[in-house]
Amino acid sequence: MSVLRRVEADRARRRRLAELGFVPGATIEVLGRGGVGGLVLAVNADTRVAVDAAGARELRVQEATRG
Amino acid sequence: MAEGLLTGRRLAPVLLEKPCCTDGADDAPTQAGAARVVLVGNPNVGKSTLFNALTGARQHVGNWPGKTVSVARGTWRRPGEADVGVVDLPGTYSLVPDSPDEELTRELLVDAAPGERPDLVVVALDASNLTRNLYLTAQLADTGIPTVVALTMVDVARSRGLDLDTGALADALGVPVVPVVPRSGQGIDELAVVVGRALSAPTPVTPAALGSDLEDAVSAVSAALVAAGPDDPAARWRALALLEGGGDGPDEAVAVARRRAADLLADEAGGDEAGADEARADEAGADEAGADEDAADEVELRVAEARYAWAHDVLGEVVTRRGSRTTWSDRVDRVLTSRWFGLPIFLAVMWGVFEATTTVAAPLQDAVQGLFDGPVSDGFGWVLGVVSAPEWLSGLVQDGLVSGVGQLLSFAPLMAIMFVLLAVLEDSGYMARAAFVVDRLMRVIGLPGKAFLPIIVGFGCNVPALAGTRILRNPRQRLLLGLLIPFVSCSARLTVYVLLAGIFFGDQAGTMVFLMYVLSIVLVVGMGWVLRRVAFRDLADDPLLLELPPYRRPTLRVMGVQTWQKLRAFLRTASGIIVATVTAVWLLSSIPMPGAAAAPSEPASFGHVAPAESVFGGVSRAVAPVFAPAGFDDWHASAALVTGFVAKEAVVATTAQTYSAEEPSDVHQAGALGTALHATFERTSGGHTVAAVLAFMIFLLAYTPCMTTVAAQRAEIGTRATLAGIAMQLLVAWVLAVAVFQVGVLLT
Repeated sequence: MSVLRRVEADRARRRRLAELGFVPGATIEVLGRGGVGGLVLAVNADTRVAVDAAGARELRVQEATRG
Repeated sequence: MAEGLLTGRRLAPVLLEKPCCTDGADDAPTQAGAARVVLVGNPNVGKSTLFNALTGARQHVGNWPGKTVSVARGTWRRPGEADVGVVDLPGTYSLVPDSPDEELTRELLVDAAPGERPDLVVVALDASNLTRNLYLTAQLADTGIPTVVALTMVDVARSRGLDLDTGALADALGVPVVPVVPRSGQGIDELAVVVGRALSAPTPVTPAALGSDLEDAVSAVSAALVAAGPDDPAARWRALALLEGGGDGPDEAVAVARRRAADLLADEAGGDEAGADEARADEAGADEAGADEDAADEVELRVAEARYAWAHDVLGEVVTRRGSRTTWSDRVDRVLTSRWFGLPIFLAVMWGVFEATTTVAAPLQDAVQGLFDGPVSDGFGWVLGVVSAPEWLSGLVQDGLVSGVGQLLSFAPLMAIMFVLLAVLEDSGYMARAAFVVDRLMRVIGLPGKAFLPIIVGFGCNVPALAGTRILRNPRQRLLLGLLIPFVSCSARLTVYVLLAGIFFGDQAGTMVFLMYVLSIVLVVGMGWVLRRVAFRDLADDPLLLELPPYRRPTLRVMGVQTWQKLRAFLRTASGIIVATVTAVWLLSSIPMPGAAAAPSEPASFGHVAPAESVFGGVSRAVAPVFAPAGFDDWHASAALVTGFVAKEAVVATTAQTYSAEEPSDVHQAGALGTALHATFERTSGGHTVAAVLAFMIFLLAYTPCMTTVAAQRAEIGTRATLAGIAMQLLVAWVLAVAVFQVGVLLT
């Protein structure tokens, strides 16, 4: 499990991400990996979101202790 | 965003008063003065199911006037109380508009003039995903509109180990909360009572506290707004919008907002690295506007953070979590979205969709067509015979109108299958996974992964494929896909390829037919590439970001109602074009050209005319020279193309008729027709037969598939875009055919 620190994207994109729960402090867990770098994430425990490699690069996270 | 262009202030009055809509129907009249309730919620929270449970069949779906946004409206009959008009707005994650769907929601809730605002918002909250749903609720609170919460997915939440305290949630939000299970109708009666009470004593949601810094700034801007203008229930919303650098307002308020936003940014910076950044920006001489923008940007981010912080607080008071967070939905996803199984499973599902829209649909289509060509046509013939109607009238009714209506209705089963499949894939949650799996692939043509499905269906038939473009939420993407679909080679075109390839290419026939399919894919990708660079430069290539809703069993009733409505809308839009075209072609082929003769002994008359002597033949002859540079300047060929505009299925029959040859019962054994075609193409191409036939086949692939496609296109992307599409198809087809023929002549 990780904690989101920053979103590296322009304003519109950051707003889109925020709507789904990607704001600094949000918990992020990688639930699965698809082809070509795609990820299935759990955001704030309850929301499931798919991102591709480029989308994943926008999310700067900090590893949190497991538990 | 076209802000100011489409502000709700002008539109809203029309919107809420009268049921509107493009399909023209008005089956859900709500009496004037009835309370107006708007249904709002995130996507995939069971909002449509709730809407259906409230309104039953008293609803209809159509575009909002002047918009491409499809909205359902209906009447809610509450036992023992007055009817309520309900509008089901598209699912949205936020009230800050990024798409026309969200723009509409915002216009209705924020920008509507005081007298035109909805009386009540029923917000559907997904109990299994409260944090994100509360984010939207926090925004709703700022609009000051009275609200009732319908809590959905309580069962899903429970199965995930979440216990919810509904009373605590109602306390935290300051509005009534009613748990509902729309599928079974559980809680609907209570919702009716609560809504009735809320209508007589309306309360908005208690605003989400954003922390002292932000709240101070909001109060200051609100005060400036109130001082400058009349009382506005959405003052808090407007104040926040100004702080975030959006919306417009009185100059004084804008000035206060700018100053406060800058202060907030300065507090934040407080000498840390952001402060250093700012210092550097100052050194570089960044102008004031840039600094304002940075501040607004920062405020927006902080507001989003603060709303989530509030949502987490509410969640802490309301929800008790037990057990593991991993759900069975997650376990299914481990397979369906995995690197190894994702694509094969996706392809298997697409194969199933393709089979359902071809193999399963075909006998149903044939049965309907047969019914009209046989019994229905005969029935009309009998009636017309009894009243001794003139022969031309019988011809018009039987061969024109009845056969046109038959062709239209033969598409009904296919469309119904398509709509049901779409609903199943979408409602079950699989569509989002499929979009994830093929996203990279579809990016080639600048469309999201979901666009794959309509294209696959298009290989069967373009008509349901066009209906399938609705899975894309962005109307610009929908338009692009709608323009590309006709280049997907449908199965009706296959019959013509097989006939021509069999006659001209012998052993190589199979290869040639395969080549046409390859070319079709090249055309879709190529035209997608070109269109994106010419007319769709606005389509941003954003990285993928897609919510994966939990897997769910689709609701049969909702599916039934929606399929029926979409089908009805399709038939209504398509009927005009199809019946008109069939009748026109029938008329053209029945009217003799001046001076024509049916046989050497008798002059031709209406309905007794050989194809070559009819106006149809005349038109074909007039068109033919256009195809001289492509090597098939011949009226037989252009006649086939004219018929092909109506339906590709009819091309083989027309070609046979124009040569007065038997229609070959087996296209592989063309016989006399083959000989005649050979002679024609050899003559028109000056001996370069192969090049001319290839050019003809390519023209056939690329130009307008059939009039039903045109009708379906019109229903999905509008008349103007459809006409532009037809022009594009004809141009591309002609240019390609000429290029292929000319290159072929050089090479052979």
